[in-house]
Amino acid sequence: MNPAHENVVSTLTNYVFPNDLHVHWSMMIALYPYITGIVAGAFIVSSLYHVFKIESLKPVSRFSLLFALAFLACATLPLLCHLGRPERNFNIMLTPNPSSAMAGFGYIYGAYGLVLFLEILFIFRPTLVHLKGQSSGLMKIIYRALTCDSSNLSEQSLELDRKIIAFLAAIGIPMACVLHGYVGFIFGGIKANPTWATPLMPVIFLLSACVSGVSGIILAYILIKSFRGQYIDLECVKTCTKFLAGFFIVDFTFEMLEIFSHSYLYTEHYHMVDRLLAGPLYVSFWEWQVGLLSVVPLLLLGILCLTRISDASYKLLASVVSFMLLLQVVFMRWNVVIGGQLISKSDRGFTQFHPEWFDKEGILTAIVLMTLPLIILFVLSKIFPFWNEEDKDLNRKEVGGT
Amino acid sequence: MSRTDKTPNAVSGGVPDMATELNGDRRAFIKKVLKGAIGGSLLLVIPLEAGVGEKQENDFDKIPEQIPGIRGQEYDMSSRQFAFVVDITRCIGCGSCCVADKREYNVPDGNYRTWVERYVKDFDDNVYVDSPKGGVEGYQEPRPELKGKIRDTFFVPKLCNMCKKPSCVQVCPVGATFKSPDGFILVDSKRCVGCGYCIQACPYSARFLHPVTRTAEKCTWCYHRVRKGLLPVCVHVCPTKARKFGDMNDKKSEVYKILRSHDVITVLKKDMGNAPSLYYKGVRREVV
Amino acid sequence: MESSYNSHVKRIIGGIVIAAVLGFLAKVVMTPESFGVYGHYRADAIIEEADREIRHWTNASCSSCHAHEANRHSKGNHKTISCEFCHGTYADHIADGKKVKTLPVMTGDEIKTLCLRCHNKAIEARPEDVIKTVAMPDHLKKQNVKETHTCNQCHYVHAPLEYINQAIKITGIKETI
Repeated sequence: MNPAHENVVSTLTNYVFPNDLHVHWSMMIALYPYITGIVAGAFIVSSLYHVFKIESLKPVSRFSLLFALAFLACATLPLLCHLGRPERNFNIMLTPNPSSAMAGFGYIYGAYGLVLFLEILFIFRPTLVHLKGQSSGLMKIIYRALTCDSSNLSEQSLELDRKIIAFLAAIGIPMACVLHGYVGFIFGGIKANPTWATPLMPVIFLLSACVSGVSGIILAYILIKSFRGQYIDLECVKTCTKFLAGFFIVDFTFEMLEIFSHSYLYTEHYHMVDRLLAGPLYVSFWEWQVGLLSVVPLLLLGILCLTRISDASYKLLASVVSFMLLLQVVFMRWNVVIGGQLISKSDRGFTQFHPEWFDKEGILTAIVLMTLPLIILFVLSKIFPFWNEEDKDLNRKEVGGT
Repeated sequence: MSRTDKTPNAVSGGVPDMATELNGDRRAFIKKVLKGAIGGSLLLVIPLEAGVGEKQENDFDKIPEQIPGIRGQEYDMSSRQFAFVVDITRCIGCGSCCVADKREYNVPDGNYRTWVERYVKDFDDNVYVDSPKGGVEGYQEPRPELKGKIRDTFFVPKLCNMCKKPSCVQVCPVGATFKSPDGFILVDSKRCVGCGYCIQACPYSARFLHPVTRTAEKCTWCYHRVRKGLLPVCVHVCPTKARKFGDMNDKKSEVYKILRSHDVITVLKKDMGNAPSLYYKGVRREVV
Repeated sequence: MESSYNSHVKRIIGGIVIAAVLGFLAKVVMTPESFGVYGHYRADAIIEEADREIRHWTNASCSSCHAHEANRHSKGNHKTISCEFCHGTYADHIADGKKVKTLPVMTGDEIKTLCLRCHNKAIEARPEDVIKTVAMPDHLKKQNVKETHTCNQCHYVHAPLEYINQAIKITGIKETI
């Protein structure tokens, strides 16, 4: 078949159900799992230190919690931008439908936010108590509220805190997994969409969450530290990179396994999945997500983990890999959320999606929503000292972690 | 522009009416009805008056009843079992149903509660489907791009399948779309948050987000008409009786007779497992 | 204020409990009255849907005023066509028993487009046993009329064969389409 003829045939046969012409879930719904993914991933980094006692991760253990909190604070915003009737959002808490995968969002999100916030309060409590003593005015009010107006730092009190922290960190892990695995199931539970309806979906979402979270921490750690001209703990970066490599290898394997299963099983919808990946998604899936942003980072991670390179190049390369993997997850979310909807349920055609700049769910909104967590992070840095060593300046007594 | 181009809009009078209509306060009336009933279980039996607007009530008595066994008696929701049959062999693709539907509900352009598809099959087993503007302007011309000899061609009307196991109801996070005791899948436009999850979940793409109310909408099989003993508007206007509707408990109804007959009856996307109450007679295997 | 070793924990737990109670109360207060009567939804929504305005009435509603047209329409081959399909909805015409607007009557080429929605032979998906179709302009040529003729110059739209049959009766000439 010559290409011209093929083109004619495809326009002839490209039948999209009239209600499918519009892509109902646009960029905001791609952004939402991206943000919750970063939250879950960053929390896992912190838990690796607080629960699994990986000592080399101590420098980022506090920062990763605040990083998670900053993104968690913005996780609902893309959803509110997306909802047709955002003012009714509390209906999801008032009458959650037990059979809906989406209904749990309000409670899971709320509970996870509470656990994360409490863990931060308890871990930072000694620091906050000291800061309370040194501050005045508005800051003093903030610190009094954050310490629940208690300045008791007796050994008995700190011992209680340590127990609570261990408990919160421990239940935080399954909750982070539920938060994000469930986001994957929102898509995995849609049987009408052949690219979404796979049990692998929650797994892939969870693993890519870890990838984006760890990448975010590495990149932010190196950038903030370099910007402030502070010492970068390379051991910490190396441990993070090793975890990143581990998560990403498994993540990428599952992503490819899903595509491979589709093509090998050759089920009734395969012709649509195949044509989707070969057509509208060719560039964003094969060239960007798989080629440039998965295969290249895998090679770079191989260099980072298996070869000996200078410290300076390690930092540079680790930043580059982290940045690429952050982008990889963006493309993965895009290809799943937007890409999946391009297939019409007529099984005979594909619709198109053109993002608008100034739409309610447009590119500008997406940029604002991705900048907002960074602004919140900056504000948080004025209240909570990110790094343990800053703590030492406040108080000789080591109080970080457990 | 031909007359038919204008028809749907000319009469719908414009979507702005929609807002006033939706704001209309029927609540007081509903409350009155609800308070009249004693306890929750008795609500299952809602008298006919509950479904009929006070203004229209008397006028409607003059209209001949189209579905027997609804007027002048208590409407017991739990005992009803309605079915919809589309007879492909009788559909001529005139688009009357689409026009009527658009007018009955003031459906905004680009969204479809019902639509009619045209299938064309050639001798190489290629299947070409189209549905320009959902068929609301009818099919005036053959598809000009198709040059080869046509083996088979037919029209397929589409609407809500009223699944017995509806995916939209399963996924609605707030309980705004639901299956009523009489088997209709309806949308509560006062609770819908407009998340679009039901639109993703519907295997038949029967749903859309209403651009004015920003809530999910879809075909209701004209529940408001059925409750007054009238046929769904698409069934009512179909000139060839390609669309049929009735109560399966009524042994004399046409749908009962068709579904009891030896004709080949099928549902769409059977393997989805949604168990539609919308049946198709004479449908070819190519229809999705 | 002197704090004991666990007073911050007590305050946090107290805050959570208060928030939970308030949340629960809000849930109880703000859940609609009829929610959950039949299932996980608002039962009132059924009545609201049933109470929607009926915009299309029936041909019987039209015939109560337009008896002459309705009488001829009901005897012709177009009897299965709803008046409101060609003319517009009853609700646009009558409100509270009074006429509020004149519904359109189609003329000229509008008529032709409308007729060909159903009767165009070029659309092959129209079974002969369901509907009579004509090829245009062959049909006009065959009948020896100008190609600019509109359908209603020969066919009375409400009963398309009424005049034709009368003509056959009078002249005895039979013609086929």
